[in-house]
Amino acid sequence: MSTCYKICMVSDFFYPNMGGVESHLFLLSQRLIQRGHKVIIITHAYGNRKGVRYLTNGLKVYYVPAMVVYSEATLPTVYGFFPLLRNILIRESIDIVHGHQAFSSLCHEAILHSKTMGLKACFTDHSLFGFADASSILTNKLLKFTLSDVDHIICVSHTSKENTVLRAALSPRNVSVIPNAVVASQFLPDPSASDPSWTTIVVISRLVYRKGVDLLVAVIPRICAMHKNVRFIIGGDGPKRIDLEQMREKHLLQDRVELLGPIKHSEVRSILIQGNIFLNTSLTEAFCIAIVEAACAGLYVVSTKVGGVPEVLPSHMINYAMPEEDDLIMAISNALHLIRYGKVDPSKFNGELKDMYSWSNVAERTEKATSPLIERLRRYYGCGLYAGKIFCMVMTLDYLFWLFLEMVFPRWSIEPAPTFPSKRYQLQTDSDCLDQIR
Amino acid sequence: MATTFGDSEYQYHPPWRKLLWVKQDYPDNYVDDSFLEELQKNVNVRDYDYWTMVYQSGIITQHISTVVIFVAIFIHLQNNSISATQLIWIGAASTTLGYFCWNLMAKQQSFRRGRVLKSAAFFFSTLLGLSPILKTLTSQTSDDTIWAMTVYCFLANVLSHDYGTQSGPRIKIPGSLSTNAAIFASVLLASRLDTNLDVFGFLSFAVEWFALFPIFRKHAQQVHAKQSIMLNMVLQLLCIILFFPISKAVVILYLFGFSFLTFICPYWLIFIQKYKNEIHGPWDEARPRLQKRTRRVTYRKYT
Repeated sequence: MSTCYKICMVSDFFYPNMGGVESHLFLLSQRLIQRGHKVIIITHAYGNRKGVRYLTNGLKVYYVPAMVVYSEATLPTVYGFFPLLRNILIRESIDIVHGHQAFSSLCHEAILHSKTMGLKACFTDHSLFGFADASSILTNKLLKFTLSDVDHIICVSHTSKENTVLRAALSPRNVSVIPNAVVASQFLPDPSASDPSWTTIVVISRLVYRKGVDLLVAVIPRICAMHKNVRFIIGGDGPKRIDLEQMREKHLLQDRVELLGPIKHSEVRSILIQGNIFLNTSLTEAFCIAIVEAACAGLYVVSTKVGGVPEVLPSHMINYAMPEEDDLIMAISNALHLIRYGKVDPSKFNGELKDMYSWSNVAERTEKATSPLIERLRRYYGCGLYAGKIFCMVMTLDYLFWLFLEMVFPRWSIEPAPTFPSKRYQLQTDSDCLDQIR
Repeated sequence: MATTFGDSEYQYHPPWRKLLWVKQDYPDNYVDDSFLEELQKNVNVRDYDYWTMVYQSGIITQHISTVVIFVAIFIHLQNNSISATQLIWIGAASTTLGYFCWNLMAKQQSFRRGRVLKSAAFFFSTLLGLSPILKTLTSQTSDDTIWAMTVYCFLANVLSHDYGTQSGPRIKIPGSLSTNAAIFASVLLASRLDTNLDVFGFLSFAVEWFALFPIFRKHAQQVHAKQSIMLNMVLQLLCIILFFPISKAVVILYLFGFSFLTFICPYWLIFIQKYKNEIHGPWDEARPRLQKRTRRVTYRKYT
């Protein structure tokens, strides 16, 4: 590719917090650096971790001091972040600002300010939202505001695209679907690792209501009663862990259900390879990277058919069920039958998934995907009867604030930062590069 | 999938599939015809019938009438237009009458008459014993505070009352917040009365009016819908008669409020239904359907 873009990824959710969004950010940035672009990341400070840090391949991360209110999301102070952001963007001479995750207020603010400064902005959404409850209504309105003036939007699945288009009242032509990817070489299968005398079902997720823990609690005792050589390994932590422990006590399944507690991302593979089947009981999922990782690691997947899950895996790797207890039992029994009689060979999945979901492909598509004041005002005005006018006022004040900053902290006084020469440190240019570094 | 160079008409595109794992020839922002196919709009919206809603608004006006009647009785008691003994007799008579009607209506519950009588006697004698304390409970508080707090409590009662029309197989006790608010308001008011007998009469009437009468009304509503309209009319009439000597302005305000609730509000609700925009689709959080575990509920009191 010819042009070298300077991209800034902004999100509240980044390392040291572990999760889907965080690993997506990191891996995508690594790929883009490999393709020759410059990438920096801005996120909020995690505890003592403030200031600038360098990660693999010279990925520069700015840990901005901001107040965290709830679950790693920062307090939205519409203009408070502007001076610091402007300083960073000018220092690094950024062209494109890419925000992630609708819940992250840092992301919304960064997009607003970058458009005021005249840069290009892009947004990626990773979750599905409803429309009916109070928090959804507010978040959707905010999203409408932010996405009124954005150059491109990326969603991780087709269901997520439909959801985002409805939430923010967008034209579907502006939304691209670029799925998440997985580093397949990190999840190589190991058929010898699982215990042959048991059929092991692995569940790894946050133990919250949204991930369908109630279904899990209902299903496990029945499966254990129906099939005598099945055991469960459950990894992850959350408020619903109590329910699982109670269920285990009530049905005396201490030898057949193992609760591992919180797991680090690096340990996930070692737990996955101990199993034969991966069970996912989520009530809603935009993409569900967990099932792709499990399939790569050589497990057969059983999942509830919700959200974007039906689009993710080919039908020979996965068995679907409705989010109902009886249907899940049937699907799991079916899967057990297939595993027992060797009708499916999960160890081959890795080879297939390696090509379907590779980060280089995602990075390539993301690269392809990436306006005057009156035009902006017109776009913001259409957000709603009262909201449109309020948003126009917010945006105009932002513009005035920018002019003020340009006068008081002029551009020539900000020293540009040197670019990290990542090309000098690259050993290989193909997909196994990351594998060596980890 | 043969493609000839140059002539785009002969290019064969396999149809677009809603899948992520297959490399498709379409651009990432391609919008297929099946976009938003699974969107369901306004599936749960019911069509309301005007006159049905007018009938059903009777439940709300009934409850508001009871509150107004109660306040009227308090004012009469304070002005000595009614004596306490009269109130006690009226309360007792109507409660026994209501109890017999209830027994005839609710045949499925078998109540032991002896136990009911015993608990009623116990309750009223306790109330009689406590009336001197309750009379002087808020003697330090000024009148204005009492009136203000009473208003808030009755407002809480009206707002949190259970106006539901559907019934389960069991009898539901009306929600605790509304009953507690009403009883608290009546205790506040009772402390402004003069004699112990007044306090006892007023409070026993309050308990009968706010704790027992709603159960009766709710059951009557379910079983005999037409008769409850008559009950509504009776309560209204009683309201007007009782308040007439006290303040005509209140009567007019009450009539105005009643007609607003009964005739204008249903029309308004139907009018704004057209702005309803309910969206459902595959992105909604699924509701997990679990098998219902049967729970054994023991009615220890009534066995």
